[in-house]
This record gives sequence, C-alpha cells and structure tokens, in this order.
Amino acid sequence: MSDKNVKTPKLLKQPLGRRDVIKRGLAGTVALAGAATVLSPRRSYASGAITIGSFQDNAMAPFRDYFVKEFTKETGIAVNYNETNYDTWYQNAKNDGINKTGAYDIYVMDDNWVPEFAAGGIVQSLDKLGLKVNSDILPKGLEMGLWPPKSGARMKDFASAKPELYSLVIIDDVEILYYHKDHFPHAPQTWDDIYAVAKKTEPPKMYGWSARGVKGNPIMMTYLPLLNSYGGNFVNEDWSPGFAGPEGVGALTRLFSFIPYMPSGVASFDTAEETQVMLEGKCTALTEYTGLVNRVDDPSSSKVVHKINMTATPKQEKHGPAIGTFICGIASGSKNPEGAVQFLEWFTSSKTQMQFARRFGGAAVTGSALSDPEAVKKYRWLPAIAEAVNSSVQKPRTPDEPKMEDILGTALNEALVEAIAQKENYDAIAKKHLQAAAEQISSYLKQQGGYF
Amino acid sequence: MTAATKTIEQRKIKARRVRLAAVPYLLLLPAMLAMAAVSLYPMIDGARASLHKYRYGIDAGYTGVENFRNIYNDAVFWQAVETTIRFILIAVSIETVLGLLLALLVARELRFLGLIRVTLILPMTIAPVVVGVIWRLLYASNIGIIDPLFRLLGLGTPDVLAHPTSAFVGLVAVDVWEWTPLIFLIILAGLESMPQDPLEAARVDGASALQVFFHHKLPLLRPVLLVAVVLRTIDAAGTFDQIFVLTKGGPGTATQLIAIYSYNTAFLFNQYGHAMAMMISLLAFLLLLMVAAVHLMRRSSELLE
Repeated sequence: MSDKNVKTPKLLKQPLGRRDVIKRGLAGTVALAGAATVLSPRRSYASGAITIGSFQDNAMAPFRDYFVKEFTKETGIAVNYNETNYDTWYQNAKNDGINKTGAYDIYVMDDNWVPEFAAGGIVQSLDKLGLKVNSDILPKGLEMGLWPPKSGARMKDFASAKPELYSLVIIDDVEILYYHKDHFPHAPQTWDDIYAVAKKTEPPKMYGWSARGVKGNPIMMTYLPLLNSYGGNFVNEDWSPGFAGPEGVGALTRLFSFIPYMPSGVASFDTAEETQVMLEGKCTALTEYTGLVNRVDDPSSSKVVHKINMTATPKQEKHGPAIGTFICGIASGSKNPEGAVQFLEWFTSSKTQMQFARRFGGAAVTGSALSDPEAVKKYRWLPAIAEAVNSSVQKPRTPDEPKMEDILGTALNEALVEAIAQKENYDAIAKKHLQAAAEQISSYLKQQGGYF
Repeated sequence: MTAATKTIEQRKIKARRVRLAAVPYLLLLPAMLAMAAVSLYPMIDGARASLHKYRYGIDAGYTGVENFRNIYNDAVFWQAVETTIRFILIAVSIETVLGLLLALLVARELRFLGLIRVTLILPMTIAPVVVGVIWRLLYASNIGIIDPLFRLLGLGTPDVLAHPTSAFVGLVAVDVWEWTPLIFLIILAGLESMPQDPLEAARVDGASALQVFFHHKLPLLRPVLLVAVVLRTIDAAGTFDQIFVLTKGGPGTATQLIAIYSYNTAFLFNQYGHAMAMMISLLAFLLLLMVAAVHLMRRSSELLE
C-alpha cells in the first residue's frame, strides 16, 4: 500500500489551538473517568453479597479457602474476602468502622481489639442484630466477645452496663503445652513435672524448656500461664496490678529456674526461634498457641513427627493458659448486616465446626467438635485445646491493655536478661522488676483516667 | 498610533508578561498539590492531633498542651531520646570515618574499580526490612552464624540480641553496614569534583600525603561532609524497620529509638495525640539541626572563598 492511499483524518489536518487542546483534553478525561466508573468492579448488595476483611494468618487458611466457598454454595450469598497484614488490617478496620464507610460487613479481629472496637462503636452489638448464639460454643471463648466483660475488672464508664455480645469467636486459639513423648511417658501436669525432666537434660544437645523472651507481648505469653497457674493476676478486680505479690514473684522465679536448661539467647527469642529448637528435636517442652500443632507433624519442617504430644498448660495451683481467640465483629457501617449475621451463625454452628475439626484439625469453638471421637482420632490435640480453653484466663479487657502489656513485658525482659547474667538472686531480681512495672502501670492508668 | 491605541498595546504586553510569569507556577501547581496532599496535610493533621486526646481510637477533644506535658513527664520517652542521640552519634561517626576512608581508597586508578564500587554500594540498595531479616538470621543464636563462629574461635556465645549492650552494638553494626555506602558515595562525588590545582601545587611544594589530606583535601571536603552527615543524621533519627525486625526496641529499652516508641504509642497503645506530640518534638529538633547545618555550610563556604 502506497502512502498516497492513506487518508489523513480531518481532525489531524486542522491546526490545533491551545483552547482546542484543553477542550479535547478535558473531554477525553471526562470520557475516561466515565468509562472507568462504568467498567470498574463494584460490590453489589442487591445479591446479598458480604465482604469480610481479615489479617493474614495461617490459622485462617481453612476459613478463607474452604468455608467461605462452602457458605456461598449453601446459601447463594457471595463472599468477598480481603486480607492484609495484621497492623494494616487493624488500622483499616478501625478507620472503616469509625467513618462507617461500609466497605466491609465483617471484621476478623484479634480478641484484644474488642474493648476498643465495642466501646468506640466500630462494631455493632450482635445481640441487637438478633444473632442467635449456638449454645455448644465453649463459654470462655464466647466471653471474649462481650463488652463490658462478664467477669474481671471493668472500666468506670461501663461499671454497671449489661454485657452485650459485640463479637463472635471463630477460632479458639489458646496456649497449650507441647511435650516430647520420649521424655515424658505421661502428660506432665505441673511445673514441677516439667522441671524434674528439664534437670536431666544436657544443653545444648537437649534443652529442658524453650520460651519467647522478647520484650512486650512475646514474653508476656511465656509469663501469663505461669502467673495464672501460681494464683496471680495481671490486674485485680480494682485494677491494681496483681503480679507484684508472692504469686507473681514465685511464677517469675520458676521461669528463671529453667535458665540453665533453656537456650542461652532466649531473651531475644520470638516464636520462630522458640519453636525451632522443638522442631529440631532439641527441646523437651514449651507452651505455645495452637498454630504449632500442624507444624510438629509436618516432615518438611519437623524432625519430631508424631513425637510431640499436647495437653493443657501446667498448673501449680490451677491451669491458667492465656487465650487469644480469632473473633468476628459486624462493621458499624455494614451494608448487609443480615448477611453477616447469617454467615457468623452458619460458621459457628455445630455442623460447620464439626467439619472444621474433622477436616482440618482446627481450633473449633464448639465443645462437640473438640470432643468428637472421629476428629480426635485424627487430630490428637483437640481435647487439649478444649481443656485449655475451659481453664483459660483472659487478659484485662480495656483499650489500654497493649500499653499495660508493654510495660510488664519490658520489665519481664529486663528481669530475664539480668537473671541470665547473674545466674542467682532470682527472687530479688523478680521482685525488683515486677514492683517497678506495677508502679508504672498504676501511674499510667491514673493518668489515663476511668479506672479508679 | 494614537495614545489610546498605544495604551491598549502596552496593556496587552503587560498582560502577556504576567501570563508568561505565571506559567512556571501553573506548571508546578499539580506537583505542589500532590506534595501538599501527601506531605503537608499529614504534617498539619499531626500537629492538630498533638493537641487532642484520643479515647477508644476516637478523637475525644482538644486538650491544649497536655500531650506535650505528658511526654515531658514520660521517662520512657526521654530514655528513647537518649538512645536515639547515642545511636546517631555512634553510627553516623563510624559511617563518616569509614565512608571517607573507602572514598579515599577508591578515588584512584585501580583495577576492577567499577566492580569494587558496585559491591560497596550494594547494602544500601537492599530494603531496610530485608536488611533486618538478614541480620536477625545472622544474629539468632541457634540458627545464625555469629554464635557458632565465636564458639569456633573459643570466644564463648555472644547472643548478640539477648543483651542490652551487644544488641545496641549489633544494631549500630547493621546501620553502619547499610548506610556507610551512602556517605561513601557522597564523599566520592566530592573528591572527584575537587579542584586538583591546589593539591598538585601543595605536592610540588613538598607536602606529604598526610599534609595534603589534612590541610587541603579535608577543608575542601568540609561542605560535602556536612551534607553527608546532616542527611544521615536525619535518616538515622527515623530508623525504624531494622529495629522493628531485629529487637522491637529490646532487650528492655536498650534499642528503643523515638521512631519505634512513637509507632508503638500511636498504633499499639492507640494514643495518637501523645505519639504526635513526640513526632512534632522530633520534627522541631531535626529542623533546628538542619538550620544549624545550613548555617555551618554557609560559613564554611564563606571561609573557603
């Protein structure tokens, strides 16, 4: 084809003035924006779709990959599932709820978000939305969704308010004891049982205990099962710290007694390092959340396949594992609260939870699923989860809990570092640091107001 | 041409001049609006938030300077300030000396010079979070290589991240590893653009290499060094990623810099007002530092002239 045959469009023949360029540019922009609006995927609520937002966590995989689809199959309600990392999701959910944007219907939350989200009106009362609670759900897990809390210390503003359900537990994550069967012929019951075996170990070939020692939340998760089992409290009913007395000091001294039998760098251990020694077969016991259950039997990450058993965390006076449930709330600006309620009722029903336990060995929230013989035969940890949930102790229910945890968690880490360095005077070290943390927490709560 | 026509013509010329003068500003406007949206607005909102109290994540109203009073009485904040200053002083000093030495070493004819330069700046190109993960794996006592290496040499087990002093030193080491290349690059650029005549004249006059360096090169490099140090100081004051991955500010508060404490205060403890008061104070401190640095640079340039 010769160039002569190519006709120049009329538009291109005309000389373009500045105004023409602006006019045509504007027209083009408007057209593009219009096309983008028309063509962009939009959520339609006419079909009753719901949108769930969540943080990324391996424990959520069955929920995300299997149950969400099952719900759509059974009910015809489409589910949009968006997930991001923990910190970002916390901020997104909060902003969405405060501004009632309606981008989400259900927030998957960490249970310690409940006080802030409920008191701040970020999530709606499930009681008011008419959600029917399955009576098979373990009470301790269910209580995590109440605001104000049913038991324990309450903030002054909510002292006489009737507890309402603002969030519903979907995974009963709780601390349990993992122990090596070669070293414990029977499930250890007390800290003394653990210590007796630890004393026989020869580090670094084999450690008698492994723990999370990093400041803040990690070391708190190590200390709380000890504190609770020794009869102490994070805070008492009147918000006074309950860990600086003999119970708290005894619990911390017990932790220090494991120092000769723990890896030397334990003060900088988080979950990865703590569990690595157990997966390598170099540790007799540790306490950890249920996320570890599948990894201990996975040959690609574990040298102790089928050699680790699970039970409730050890007791002294009583069992006292920390509980950290995955919990769902319905967004204040939800555009489809009915669909959201339907989803939560469906997922926490005994039938769905049974599937969760039988198919995935997940930390189900119903008693029948955790004690189901078929599920237990396949997943030996389920009874331990049930026992741990039933004896669990919740952390203080207040939006200021993370700060309180940071203060005590920093003091515990400092105490552990000092105890490892000194290798003696454990009692005095424990007293000094716990007392300092107690004073700091009291003064912080006074400054915040609403407690005393 | 009548007087009226002349006036009209003059007005037209004036209007055209005004239009022409306005063009650069109009062209800059979109960029300035974008900058204002992503930079100025958060800063203004941060300043506003520093004067408000937050409860249950919601703005509970104006509280005046209470947040600033609270940070004044917050012992942890002052600890973080002290740690930040110590971190900046030690890390930036080491980086400056090392960067200078490396630049002097490389600013000459060497074989494989290109390869050496690229290798030297590699750490700077890695994302800080990744740097944190790499060093956490190196330091982690049961899976890293630092501890086995020490044991092999019969030096015991350092457990770098488990002790306050070694964790701080470990953090400085990471910062030095990552950011010495930046100072090296800036100084190298300074060395390569340095006038050679005074140096050659000094050599001809019999000055030794050390004398040439201390009496000629170093004074000529002073403005460049100052730029490098100021840039690194501002950057080091906001160090966050590596600490978040490596130590979370621990053991205890040994590596808790202001950036980490502010982040925790805002996003973990939900006290935006308190956190913003800290960030505004840090901003004021850095602004003062910059003003002082610019003043010093001017003076140093004047002295050189």
